[in-house]
Amino acid sequence: MNVLNIALYEIKRSLRDTRTFVFMLAFPLILILILGTALSNAFSSEVTMDGMKLLYKVSAQNEPLQQYWNGFAQAIESQGVELTAANGGIDGRAAVADDQYAAYAEIDDNGVRFFGSSLRTIESNIIQGMLTSFADRYNLAAAAMKNSPEAVQAILADAGSSGSFIQEASIDPHRKPGSIDYYAIAESTMIAFYACMSASWLIRGEVRRRTALRLAAAPVGKMEIFAGKVIGCTVINYLCILAVVLFSKYAFGANWGDHLGIVFLLLFTVVLLAVSFGLGIAYMIKGDSANSVMTIFVQIASMLGGAYFPIQDDMNNFFGSLANLSPLRWANDALMNLIYNNDLQAALPVIGLNVAIAAAFLAFVAVSMRRREAF
Amino acid sequence: MNVLEIRNLTKKFGDFIAVDNMNLSVREGEIFGFLGANGAGKSTTINMISSLLRITKGEISLLGKNIVKENKFAKLNIGIVPQDLAIYEEMSAYENVSFFAGLYGLRGNLLKERAAEALEFVGLGDKHKDLPKNFSGGMKRRLNIACAIAHRPKLIIMDEPTVGIDPQSRNYILNSVRKLNEMGSSIIYTSHYMEEVEELCTRIAIVDHGKIIAEGTKEQLKSIITDTKEIWIGVKNEERLDIDALQRISGVISVQPEEQTVKIVSRGEVGNLNWIIQQLIKDGVEIGSVEEQAPNLETVFLTLTGRKLRD
Ligand SMILES: Nc1ncnc2c1ncn2[C@@H]1O[C@H](COP(=O)(O)OP(=O)(O)OP(=O)(O)O)[C@@H](O)[C@H]1O
Ligand SMILES: [Mg+2]
Repeated sequence: MNVLNIALYEIKRSLRDTRTFVFMLAFPLILILILGTALSNAFSSEVTMDGMKLLYKVSAQNEPLQQYWNGFAQAIESQGVELTAANGGIDGRAAVADDQYAAYAEIDDNGVRFFGSSLRTIESNIIQGMLTSFADRYNLAAAAMKNSPEAVQAILADAGSSGSFIQEASIDPHRKPGSIDYYAIAESTMIAFYACMSASWLIRGEVRRRTALRLAAAPVGKMEIFAGKVIGCTVINYLCILAVVLFSKYAFGANWGDHLGIVFLLLFTVVLLAVSFGLGIAYMIKGDSANSVMTIFVQIASMLGGAYFPIQDDMNNFFGSLANLSPLRWANDALMNLIYNNDLQAALPVIGLNVAIAAAFLAFVAVSMRRREAF
Repeated sequence: MNVLEIRNLTKKFGDFIAVDNMNLSVREGEIFGFLGANGAGKSTTINMISSLLRITKGEISLLGKNIVKENKFAKLNIGIVPQDLAIYEEMSAYENVSFFAGLYGLRGNLLKERAAEALEFVGLGDKHKDLPKNFSGGMKRRLNIACAIAHRPKLIIMDEPTVGIDPQSRNYILNSVRKLNEMGSSIIYTSHYMEEVEELCTRIAIVDHGKIIAEGTKEQLKSIITDTKEIWIGVKNEERLDIDALQRISGVISVQPEEQTVKIVSRGEVGNLNWIIQQLIKDGVEIGSVEEQAPNLETVFLTLTGRKLRD
């Protein structure tokens, strides 16, 4: 009951704060609009998927498996994938690493192995998406081959025509993010991460205003206060994100894909991560420097996450690898995959990681808070 | 029964001893004054009573119950008015009071009634919808008090509630302290304003370097130093004063020349005013005025601590 009360007051106070609206709503929407329109030309040429090139090597001896692959290969070719058979000496992985192909697949009697390019994540993810359901079935058949070869036909026949896999994975290689779509995603995750700014102020603000004294003198447990404040802060920031996503979807027509539920779940975990991160930093760094540290971190993470301009997949340099450290980058990649490849799997590790990091930070803060006198 | 019992209370910050083996009791129905110079340890003591700081050593009990063991009971029965304003500027006066009162378990209509009553009490009834950021310093101080009393605590602790405010608000606050006391709350009151404490408090403790160095009613405290008196003499030409000669007069303890006056502290029972005046006349000092003062609390404080209450 106290927790709820404290959370409600936290929300109420944030709603009164014009900064909440300026920073959490107006700012991202304006960025989406401005960057999305201004950069639309430059943008579309940057992310086109001109090279869905798949290098493959079939060493399967088994007739049904070979046929099964051939059918599949035709089907994806018709979807715009350029297939090249690897001849003898070529090292498939090296060729991918060299950026000659977006992906490399090895098909033998044991199953399918896939190597995606880390330089062309979007293309390689699309191909991987196509391959996933095919490979599942193929691997099953390959395993069956060893024990009961007679079952293989049944397994493969059961799968229907090879083309149906593509339907199943519902890949549309022509679907690609426009600039508004891109910035809707990038600004939403950025704003989700901005939650760490208000979170870093969550407890320190009480101390500064001296209201922490009243909270500590009241017959309410510290953990109740902590929980109430964290919940309040998470909810208010999350509401802002929901508003930005929905506004960008319906007013700007940004594409948020067909799995809004998972999109929202993922964004929720980003907010949670940001809130606990902000609290954690505020507890690690004493005094006002926490705020500066936070501001700098958020700006760098936003930039590397691609909030202002897309960080290209083929930026194979210091900047590119640095980008992978940004939690926004993880979230953006996962959202891209989710929206454009229907790759639900890509979202799960990011959701898990966000929740795990958040839990660690929250536990740290809870423990330090208990130890402290007052707050 | 004592509302508050403090036994051998010590608080250390690292090696620094802020409160040093303090003993104190506050009786039910009292307005208890807590006097001490800056850094004497008043706030530290108060913060331990209200569970904001951990006790290094010793014990505090509220209405006979140990405040650490029965922490919830203690917290429920204490209202604290912190030395610094502790309010949310962006919440209305009413929301401030009802939020804090809600933490004490008040809900629904009772919460509304008590919050409104507390605001009425400090004279902010007609401002309940306004935001404190538009309040004057005095109004903020009054809201600071309202936030501490809505749950009707048995013991109200006020840590310098009248710092930096206009005389009108100050009178309002002093009157509400009396009213709260009449309504049944015991009160601990700290202030840098000696007059306030002298006017308001039934008993007073003087704190210095974390210790209680004197405790009692005003009269008891003054009697500690009735053996001295202060003689203030207005002089027109202080350069002619012969300080050594004055100091040799029987009963004189100290002579402090100031601009256009000289302050002489003397033992109380010695009738030496004639001798002093004769000496001044002999030196050719022109006397403007002579005033003999009975000791006030300020002198008591100065004599006991060697410090002024306010720097
Ligand atoms: N958290 C702390 N850490 C270290 N020292 C502290 C802390 N809080 C107070 N002190 C020290 O303890 C001493 C007593 O401080 P306290 O605030 O209790 O004084 P006070 O009597 O309330 O003074 P004032 O009239 O200025 O409010 C001071 O010397 C102060 O510097
Ligand atoms: Mg103090």
